[in-house]
Amino acid sequence: MIRVRMPQKKQELEVPGPRRVSDILADAGVRPTTVIVTHGKKLLTRDQRVEDGETIEIISVVSGG
Amino acid sequence: MKCKRCRRSEAAVDLPSHNSAFCPECFFVFFRRQVEEGIRKFRMLSPSDRVLVCVSGGKDSLVLWDILSELGFRTEGLHIDLGIDGYSARSREKSLAYAVSRGKELIVVDLRAEGVPIPAAAKRSSKEECAVCGTVKRYFFNRIAAERGFTAVATGHNLDDEAARLLGNLLHWDSDHLSRQHPLLPESADGLVRKVKPLWRVSEMETAAYGFLKGIDYVTEECPMSEDATSLVYKKALSHIEDEMPGTRRRFYQGFLHQNRDVPKNSVALDQGEETPPVKCISCGAPTYTEICSFCRLKEKVTKTRGRS
Repeated sequence: MIRVRMPQKKQELEVPGPRRVSDILADAGVRPTTVIVTHGKKLLTRDQRVEDGETIEIISVVSGG
Repeated sequence: MKCKRCRRSEAAVDLPSHNSAFCPECFFVFFRRQVEEGIRKFRMLSPSDRVLVCVSGGKDSLVLWDILSELGFRTEGLHIDLGIDGYSARSREKSLAYAVSRGKELIVVDLRAEGVPIPAAAKRSSKEECAVCGTVKRYFFNRIAAERGFTAVATGHNLDDEAARLLGNLLHWDSDHLSRQHPLLPESADGLVRKVKPLWRVSEMETAAYGFLKGIDYVTEECPMSEDATSLVYKKALSHIEDEMPGTRRRFYQGFLHQNRDVPKNSVALDQGEETPPVKCISCGAPTYTEICSFCRLKEKVTKTRGRS
């Protein structure tokens, strides 16, 4: 399984791997232009494939005010 | 996906709005050029400027400080501690940590010490919380800049912020705000320091990607008082359109600026005729169109309430 962390929402979910970032975002109900997706110190593009057992983070970039 | 600039390295940032994708090194070049072009287009800043960068601890303002320093501008940071339990302490810590790590000067204004912490001020005002916060922050941006001889105040507003604001102003046909919405507000004879938004060409996602790739440690949590901000509703609507039609947000805002080429005048009031000169606030000396400026009136309300309790 791929572990998907969403620190701002304090949520975590698991999806079966391998899976593309764009599909993971769709699973999580997240619009691609509103986040960056990281794997350790790397940024992931939407077409990249995440392998089973890996952990990624979806970080929201939207600020209000 | 390969980087569309160097065509060698793996892309780290894909930008459908520019029909492009970049590796980290090429993305830095792209980002820097966008900011340089944003500054150049309206002659926002010159090498002789002393720039006060308003730093919240979030990604946009820290990235702004970083890139302005990299472009060779003389900068100091200004952090306003809003007095919001927990969140403000963490924001201040990130701002200070960045300043120390880059050997930069950071001026800190503590709103609790100033008698106007935002939670208390928002309770005493009929305005939306973010509007109250904006009034207080703008007051200190200008006051500190004027007192300490800065020639420009820079804020980290990005393309998403400005497009959302434009959508809101259009939906309400707010002609006063529309006439003053611009990345550059020049200095005014009545004591307002020039205000600039050098990140107006880059999106929120691009700013976050730049911050992440540069290793800038910023506050990722949202201000707890901005959960109901109307700007978030406009941003959500625009991001929906942007996902379906990449580049629309950029064309929307840049088209607006193209249609309104004149740089507006900087003013403390929106609804005053140009013939009416402002006066000095009898309490603090800031330029105002009323006897007491809006900040001092707000401060008085907060102080009176505290006196009663």
